[in-house]
Amino acid sequence: MEALLIPFLDATIRTATPLAYAALGELVTERSGVINIGMEGIIIAGCLGGLVAAGAGGAAMGFLGGALAGAGMAAIFAFFVLRLRADAIITGTALTLLGLGLTGTLYRGLFGLEGAALGTPSIAPIALPGLSSLPLVGPVFFTQTGMTYLLYLFVPALAWWLARTQAGLALRAVGESRAAALAAGLDVQRLRWGAILFGGAMGGLCGATLVLAQVGTFTEGMSAGRGFIAIAIVVLGRWRTVGTTLAALIFGGAFALQYLLQAAGWALPYHLFLALPYLLTLILLAALRGRAEAPAELASQESWSRA
Amino acid sequence: MTQRAATEPMGADPRDHEALALEGITVRFGPVTALDGAHCTIRRGTVHAILGENGAGKTTLMRAAFGWLMPDAGTIRLHGAPVTFRTSAEAIAQGIGMVHQHFMLIPAMTVTENIALGGRGRFDAGTTAARITAVADGAGLPVDPVARVRDLAVSAQQRVEIVKALVRDARILILDEPTAVLTPDQATELLRWVRTFADAGGTVVLITHKLREAFAVADDLTVLRQGRTVLSAARALVTEAHLIEALTGAGVGPGGAGGPVPYHPMPTARVADAPEVDDPAPVLRLDGVRYVDPRGVTRLRAVDLAVYPGEILGVIGVEGSGPRELLRILAGRLTPTTGRVTRPDAVGFVPEDRLHDAVIPSFSLTENLVLADGGEARGWMDWSTWRTITRDLLATADVRAAGPDVPMATLSGGNQQRFVVGRERRRAAAALIVEHPTRGLDLTASARILADLRALGGNPRPAVVFHSADLDEVLAVATRVVACFEGRVREVSPPSDPTDRTPYTRAMTGSVETTAVSSGGTR
Repeated sequence: MEALLIPFLDATIRTATPLAYAALGELVTERSGVINIGMEGIIIAGCLGGLVAAGAGGAAMGFLGGALAGAGMAAIFAFFVLRLRADAIITGTALTLLGLGLTGTLYRGLFGLEGAALGTPSIAPIALPGLSSLPLVGPVFFTQTGMTYLLYLFVPALAWWLARTQAGLALRAVGESRAAALAAGLDVQRLRWGAILFGGAMGGLCGATLVLAQVGTFTEGMSAGRGFIAIAIVVLGRWRTVGTTLAALIFGGAFALQYLLQAAGWALPYHLFLALPYLLTLILLAALRGRAEAPAELASQESWSRA
Repeated sequence: MTQRAATEPMGADPRDHEALALEGITVRFGPVTALDGAHCTIRRGTVHAILGENGAGKTTLMRAAFGWLMPDAGTIRLHGAPVTFRTSAEAIAQGIGMVHQHFMLIPAMTVTENIALGGRGRFDAGTTAARITAVADGAGLPVDPVARVRDLAVSAQQRVEIVKALVRDARILILDEPTAVLTPDQATELLRWVRTFADAGGTVVLITHKLREAFAVADDLTVLRQGRTVLSAARALVTEAHLIEALTGAGVGPGGAGGPVPYHPMPTARVADAPEVDDPAPVLRLDGVRYVDPRGVTRLRAVDLAVYPGEILGVIGVEGSGPRELLRILAGRLTPTTGRVTRPDAVGFVPEDRLHDAVIPSFSLTENLVLADGGEARGWMDWSTWRTITRDLLATADVRAAGPDVPMATLSGGNQQRFVVGRERRRAAAALIVEHPTRGLDLTASARILADLRALGGNPRPAVVFHSADLDEVLAVATRVVACFEGRVREVSPPSDPTDRTPYTRAMTGSVETTAVSSGGTR
């Protein structure tokens, strides 16, 4: 039992890590009252940005590159939605298509037909001294990459920031009522710019983590719907930091399950396992329909574009 | 406030100093000039009422003073020194607070979070809550800092708004139509508080269109008409006649109503004579109706009521005591939990929130007419016929509109309301339910809609049930009055002295001296 369970849980945490980055980024964006459905395009940009920057300056540079690529994509979104007052749904869709198309083209342009060099820097799991020798918990939680450990620190920090700082309060207020935020003298545009850029950087980190901590290389379309899953995770997590992190774990588990079931030799077409996380998305979203806990401004399409 | 009073220089009357002066304020929204050189001077330690009809520019003028918008021209002086507010944050920092007509509170957040909004650095809920309680108690405006705003009654939300301004050390409070959302008792209490605040050295700007309010509490009055200041004087120097003349002017009326509309004097508390009714069968009837809302709160208990043709039943009662549910059950918008409702197939309904519940502002008048007929119009739309019907409606209901094809949003509030009333009358001849008929309308439009309700014709005449937060309005129009209190509905017997309002206010606050409304009423 343990022989299966530990690899499964380990894989759950590992696959949940990039999802959590993207979802927490989307969470911050949505709490400011803007939905960025272009997360998919941001993640794939983060993948390529991470690959290119890591090739030039090592793994640490790769994460920086991924975050910058993601923030750059988000800046395009913010410019269109906040400055030009374009429709956020259309802009987000365009951003996804742009990201998928542009990364494919750039990748082929940069690396030719033979693909990226196999020597892409990557980061290996680090067993934390002491903690990693705990039974079950050790190999699952404390034998991960640095990005997972960073997430352990980031989640409480974000929760604290949202609840206990004036800036966090301001961000939530902008997401709940633009009019009330304006009346309180808040700079709605600036807060939303910040939230969108932050979400982009987090999405970029998700992409860089995929490349540098999991897959080890870039393939076209490797984001594989994670941007949309991240949006679903935020809904499932009820727009809360801890809830969203837990929801990311559930989806990490769904991805890990496909490895587990395939390893267990179930004689089912593997496409079915691949479809599992997406099927889960549909089922959970349908089960959770209705309850209104979303930031109120998300419902008011018009307000996204107003100053 | 008490500290504030102590900081005032001793000896000199603070009222000799100007707190806020606005001169030559011009504000344009595209081609529309909202303010055209408006001015007023607000003295320290006074209550200054800004009067005017809807669209006269009252709110716009005060928003300019609050930094909510930048005037295109004009100067603002604060305590004698010229200031320019680019944002409301700058005005707040200078001690100006504004309570907007539509509260700027976030329903999902707590009182503490709402008040803390806009600060910097750490947000410590405990410390902030303690400060809120201290300020609120000191000002005599109790609020619960940990309550969520969405759970608070409107009057409590208003206190939160005022406390929010006071926590930020507001010395000048701008209140935009503060009593519009309050019951008469709550309004009296608020105005009393306003007076106390000013007497302690604070300055209050009261935007209102209620003359009686302005007379009751203000030291100075400024009247705006079409973006210009037409009167600005101490209250003692102004008579009611002056004010009405200044407000309505000569030859101007909103929506191009064509010539001055005579002012309907403040109605006396007199229930109009009940109509002669030949047909004894009630149009609307409730038997033992109980209603429990989705949150499990019992809103109506054991209500028996009958409404007859030609009757205009005025429903009074504070928010939450049942009038809303009573009217919506009669209109067929709510289904009672238990009890029996007898009503015609079609009952006309004019909801309080016109723009959300009654019309689609961006649709044309014709489309809005067709939509209300619901399932009646099917298949191929014969638009020319509908357009003709709409045109007829515009004529009979006296709706001022360029034609049946203009968007609803282009009509003034009064014309929209007349359109909705006319449409509902056309749809349902026997019964009409009207919530807050004058809400959001100016003096002239209000007077007209009330007159329209009184004059509704037809054979047999329709049964009308309406609710208003304004007791004067109910007494001016109704032929019979019932009061809601804690979900019970009682008829109020007209007092022998027609100016005596105590029976009505008592009925709304649960004191006795009312008779149970039987199915037969008091007829």
